[in-house]
Amino acid sequence: MLSIKNLHASVEGKEILKGINLEIKAGEVHAIMGPNGSGKSTLAQVLAGNDAFEVTSGSVTMHGEDLLEKATEERARDGVFLAFQYPVEIPGVSNLQFMRTSVNAMRHHRGESEMNAAEFMKMAREISKQVDLDPAFLKRGVNEGFSGGEKKRNEIMQALMLQPKLAILDETDSGLDIDALKVVSDGVNALRAEDRAILMVTHYQRLLDHIVPDFVHVLAEGKIVKSGGRELALELEERGYAWLGIKDDETAASSAN
Amino acid sequence: MKPAPSLLSSAFLQPAGQALPAPLLALRKQRGAALVDMPMPTRKTENWKYSSKYLKLTDEMAASLPTTGKTGSALAVPGYKVVFINGVVIPEASEYPDLDNILIQRFGDLSEAEANELAERLDSTLDAKAVQFAGLNTARFEDGLLIRLKPDAVLDQPLFIIHEVTADASGSAFPRIFVEAGRNSQITLVEEFISSGQEAVFVNSVTEFTLAEGTNVTNIRLSMDGEKVQHIGATGVTQQRSSRFESHCVGFGGPLRRHDLRVRLEGKGAECKLNGVVVTQGTQHYDNHTTIEHVAPNCDSEETYRNIAADKSHAVFNGRIHIHPDAQKSNANMSNKNLLLSTGAEIDTKPELEIYADDVKCAHGATIGQLDKESLFYLVSRGIGLREANVLLTMAFINELVAQIPVDAVKDTVQIRLNQFFDQTFQEV
Repeated sequence: MLSIKNLHASVEGKEILKGINLEIKAGEVHAIMGPNGSGKSTLAQVLAGNDAFEVTSGSVTMHGEDLLEKATEERARDGVFLAFQYPVEIPGVSNLQFMRTSVNAMRHHRGESEMNAAEFMKMAREISKQVDLDPAFLKRGVNEGFSGGEKKRNEIMQALMLQPKLAILDETDSGLDIDALKVVSDGVNALRAEDRAILMVTHYQRLLDHIVPDFVHVLAEGKIVKSGGRELALELEERGYAWLGIKDDETAASSAN
Repeated sequence: MKPAPSLLSSAFLQPAGQALPAPLLALRKQRGAALVDMPMPTRKTENWKYSSKYLKLTDEMAASLPTTGKTGSALAVPGYKVVFINGVVIPEASEYPDLDNILIQRFGDLSEAEANELAERLDSTLDAKAVQFAGLNTARFEDGLLIRLKPDAVLDQPLFIIHEVTADASGSAFPRIFVEAGRNSQITLVEEFISSGQEAVFVNSVTEFTLAEGTNVTNIRLSMDGEKVQHIGATGVTQQRSSRFESHCVGFGGPLRRHDLRVRLEGKGAECKLNGVVVTQGTQHYDNHTTIEHVAPNCDSEETYRNIAADKSHAVFNGRIHIHPDAQKSNANMSNKNLLLSTGAEIDTKPELEIYADDVKCAHGATIGQLDKESLFYLVSRGIGLREANVLLTMAFINELVAQIPVDAVKDTVQIRLNQFFDQTFQEV
């Protein structure tokens, strides 16, 4: 479904991704782990189309089509979804207006008729229950005044609503207490489907206790240095990144020799 | 040697129309005499600093526009309305409320005694030195509307004043309104400035309100004059004890747009709420100057203005709050936020606070920014088109103020104009 070949990307002239290769098939769940600054979030942003990052070489295709050539909104309409690490607050645009505009943009793209307000509300209420958000939040500004956990649940709610082909979750577990982590994980597990791929970017392995990946990749200094199955995450948990010869802020002291 | 300052052309001091009671004709003459050799504002005139270059009056624009004309779009307005064409009331096109305690009269229909009383009160809400062009209106008006609400009178629906200018030839118009709101009375006055025709014209409008104790007045001012209309307008308000004045000014740019809004809180416990939205595009201009005088103690003022400037347009906001020595326990809040939609646009904002009392709460804030890139990315990453995302974010900037406009018909008109602006500003990609 998704094929990333020798992807290089820079931000403000500084190269962050230095040749990523990754194949993801429909139905698979991949986890990308790595220390801070390894390029995990950059990869997520580049796939979603953030033009703050410049792709300098390499290719990304989805369903055989060149993904990098498409504008962000076209990628989204083709089924790319990014759950943001730091969801943006947009006062003055209500969650309801935002999500309905989004859902209808997708429907329009598929040649379907727009959802009316009543239909949309019914769907939104149901899904908000699924991620344990009070439906009253729909009337508030997008993410406005939300706690960190509420923002992450809102991201998952949008994923459930938009039913993407490729869901990229950028540090969706960070800042969540155990109850919220459970809610978010249940949401992500509900997304698992044969025709959908999930790419999780995470620093910690605890999310992987709840969302069991098919493949785990370790990213360091802009390259995938090791790939394996679920057991790789457990090994990282036990031995840290230093075991792979990777410097990490948190393990730097032990690998300083 | 300094070059001689440019003076107001004497052509602008020739009033037309004599169908006014003698006291008003006398007042007009007196004001005209005071304006002989009035220096025109320049870059060095502090309250015209950013706008003087847009003011381009030519002698061709000096003569009053004909007082008969078509009453086009104005007729579509439902309910109570008074239609002005080129500064003159057109009774046939108007629909007056039929209430004993609300008197609505043309200046020309006033008795000598009534006109005498009015002549003494005209300009009383505006400081002639600060608002030079209000004096020009008084020197030139050919007609006007006096609205008097007797104590406890309540107008059950908004009264629309449609100021239409027919710019089929060059000329000028001087619409004038005076509203006297008696004790505990209530009115919502909607003023819409529109124009037809394509010639360069000058509109110089003045509306005054005097609010007696306990009155509640709402004024909506919608400035939608045409592309070749230079408009200098002023609104003056005086407020007595426990009165409330609410203003919603929505303005779309033009070759020159200037509005001075002056509110004097003269009675204890009076409050005013002033909202403003300005949208400019192309090479348009719009300048709002507001002044709130806290004269009496325990008064509240709340002011919120938003400017949006696209292309190479230029918006100006100057907000002055003056708290007099006796105005203890004043509570004044002023916020002005500005959105630049292009690198060629310009916005100048200046809060001016003068505080002479020691026990007051006074807050002000001004910001200028662009649409947030991260917010745009967030919206488009959900499949929302770039154009739609731009519109959502721009609308978000003024949503709150548009939503507060208390008359739905006006809100709809504003939204239609905003949609046109969005269509022209954000191209489909």
